[in-house]
Amino acid sequence: MGILIVDDSKDSRDLLKTFLKGAGYKDITTAASAQEAFEALGVNGADHRHKIPFKVILMDGVMPEMNGIEACRVIKADAHLADIPVIMVTAMGEQESLNEAFEAGATDYITKPVKKIELLARVRSVLRLHQEMERRKVREKELIETLKQLSEANRVLTLLSAQDGLTGLANRRHFDENFSAEWRRAMRDRQPLSVVMADIDHFKLYNDHYGHQGGDTCLRQVAAVIGQVARRPGDIAARYGGEEFVLILPDTPLEGGMRIAEEAAAAVRALRLPHEKSSAAPYVTLSMGVACMVPDRSKEMKELIERADRALYAAKRQGRNRVKAAAEE
Amino acid sequence: MGNEERIAVKVDADLKELIPGFLQTRHDDVAAIAAALEKGDWNAVYIMGHSMKGSGGGYGFDEISEIGAVIETAAKAKDAAAVKSGAVRLSDYLGRIDITYV
Ligand SMILES: [Mg+2]
Repeated sequence: MGILIVDDSKDSRDLLKTFLKGAGYKDITTAASAQEAFEALGVNGADHRHKIPFKVILMDGVMPEMNGIEACRVIKADAHLADIPVIMVTAMGEQESLNEAFEAGATDYITKPVKKIELLARVRSVLRLHQEMERRKVREKELIETLKQLSEANRVLTLLSAQDGLTGLANRRHFDENFSAEWRRAMRDRQPLSVVMADIDHFKLYNDHYGHQGGDTCLRQVAAVIGQVARRPGDIAARYGGEEFVLILPDTPLEGGMRIAEEAAAAVRALRLPHEKSSAAPYVTLSMGVACMVPDRSKEMKELIERADRALYAAKRQGRNRVKAAAEE
Repeated sequence: MGNEERIAVKVDADLKELIPGFLQTRHDDVAAIAAALEKGDWNAVYIMGHSMKGSGGGYGFDEISEIGAVIETAAKAKDAAAVKSGAVRLSDYLGRIDITYV
């Protein structure tokens, strides 16, 4: 159990030790001064681990050199020892110093001359309290650890649920949510909102020729380029469907949307990914449609997507590998 | 002091082994107090009184705690007569106790 008795009087030490032993406590250490107690505890020492882990300290009040209150204060100031409960053992007439003792961190007190029943009751209750606190500390630690794992799992889950598994861009669900949020924000701020729809030219032929794995690799490389182009805060690049991508560009007029689309188209061309079956070019290219609106209550959100989509089909009809702006409507 | 009126004291049986040593130390205290007084070592007297006060009742000897308190107070006041009378009272008490372990 590890009980430390600190008292300058041998009679008092012997008495406390005998009562405690009689009640079945083992591991009782005695110290005749604060200094001896500090040595037993390893105060300010680096070797706490080799010391007996005391569960309670019985501390005499009046001792020559350092008194019990001062000793208690020193123990409580040591982070490794601060949790060990200290019971002050003070003579009758020293009660006025108890306030000071509690301020110094004492848990409880017993008056001298010590009564066996009182001693054992106090020690038992302090030990029980200490045990309960230790148990609670362990539980709290476990709880904090569990919460940490949970929040990490949630973070990963949220990320995964918003992400397209193949390309790492935002997925369709994330796009839908963010598009309506951006639409409302643009309406509130009366700012232009641009949308770019992009399609890999003749991707079905590409897949047939290079296989599904080749197709997946192509999608990943194109997605990486598109993700880099939509890099301002608020820009969102998403995989819209099989080989279709979409960009949401807040606070961006049509010309700005066109510029970003052209940048993406050029970056994909620059990859020079061979595409033998394409009628547009011998390498992978994009067809893109750009539309822009300043949202207001008379307009519908899906209209912006539809306009970008019509521009995309216009780009395809005109021979692919190009960017088209939506016609004014 | 020939009047041998005995004083019955009940002591916790757990303490049986400690009692002879405890009482011997009190006998020694009587001599030590006298010696300290001789030297004018009030602090030593004070500590002996204080220790007696703190431990006597715990061992079952409330009278020793009372005597200790008297000696402690007297030492603080540097009252040699009161210290001596305390020591006499202690010596007398020690000579008259009959202990039963309970
Ligand atoms: Mg003391």
